[in-house]
Amino acid sequence: MAYPMQLGFQDAASPIMEELLHFHDHTLMIVFLISSLVLYIISLMLTTKLTHTSTMDAQEVETVWTILPAIILIMIALPSLRILYMMDEINNPSLTVKTMGHQWYWSYEYTDYEDLSFDSYMIPTSELKPGELRLLEVDNRVVLPMEMTIRMLISSEDVLHSWAVPSLGLKTDAIPGRLNQTTLMSTRPGLFYGQCSEICGSNHSFMPIVLELVPLKYFEKWSASML
Amino acid sequence: MSFRAAWSLTLRKGGLGIRGIHTPGSTAHGKEKMPPYTNYHAQRSYPMPDEPFCMELNAEQRALKEKEKGSWTQLSHAEKVALYRLQFHETFAEMNRRSNEWKTVMGCVFFFCGFTGLLIWWQRVYVFPKKPITLTDEWKAQQLQRTLDMKGNPVQGLASRWDYERKEWKK
Repeated sequence: MAYPMQLGFQDAASPIMEELLHFHDHTLMIVFLISSLVLYIISLMLTTKLTHTSTMDAQEVETVWTILPAIILIMIALPSLRILYMMDEINNPSLTVKTMGHQWYWSYEYTDYEDLSFDSYMIPTSELKPGELRLLEVDNRVVLPMEMTIRMLISSEDVLHSWAVPSLGLKTDAIPGRLNQTTLMSTRPGLFYGQCSEICGSNHSFMPIVLELVPLKYFEKWSASML
Repeated sequence: MSFRAAWSLTLRKGGLGIRGIHTPGSTAHGKEKMPPYTNYHAQRSYPMPDEPFCMELNAEQRALKEKEKGSWTQLSHAEKVALYRLQFHETFAEMNRRSNEWKTVMGCVFFFCGFTGLLIWWQRVYVFPKKPITLTDEWKAQQLQRTLDMKGNPVQGLASRWDYERKEWKK
């Protein structure tokens, strides 16, 4: 989850999120370079003693500042497309979990082998145990096996919602009448928090998502106990 | 052509009955145009306007303009300065002079910032609801302990800065 005074993204828990972190570093560096160049030029413009400010011929600089941004944009687009295609690679998931958005909670269905389904409501602030995170904890966490590719099928029973878990680089809209798919693969165990990311009514801020990634043995024990 | 030059040309042909505008030493204020509606528009980016500053010249000034048509080495320093003043309203140094406007501006900015501060303070006292229990120091400490226990952000974030062997923050 987020921690105090955090400036950047949460630490990646999946390879795709790592790629996204590096891409963000690359793009942000380009943005900083351009912004500081522009700021410097503005400061030059404001402090010049020169007085001739009407239009002059400037073919060379105009060529440069047309070609150079095109090159910069290509340098941003190519890594971006690479990651986009990487997300759509065929990866043969071992497990499929369905999640339905409701106003205002998520419900999860593990129907590969048996029929396991449950609702996941946020724990109200007054019922939190000491040390728990306000507006982020839920009564039933989504337990999943770590280091395994999992297919998530996301939809909604009423209005638009969005199932998002930032540390895994996931955000997929839950659209009524439509089934959206995303794949999940965590490289480490732990609790990963997310929040509904599409405005859905009064309690939109109060329907979080908590993934509990555990070794396969614990997952099997948990799913048996939940039936 | 600059906007100002075009504007002076339009005014000239506008048939507005333009007479001498800035004539130092002249007391005749007939149909002359009051500032800022004159034909003389000089600015840092257009420092040599088409028209001179003084349009109406008295006899002495006209004699000086005749002398200007000859060799300039014949002109004394005072005459050159007089000719400059006929042609231009201000020198570059005068035109670019600093002012004390910034003090007024900064004063008003600080005043309004202070006033806004007072408003916000009042709001904090009389409007905002109570802070939730999770913002007490005790709860924040327990929350931190829980985050470290679950190794949240162990790569470069919070848990990566905690030394689990020695149970203290890494130096």
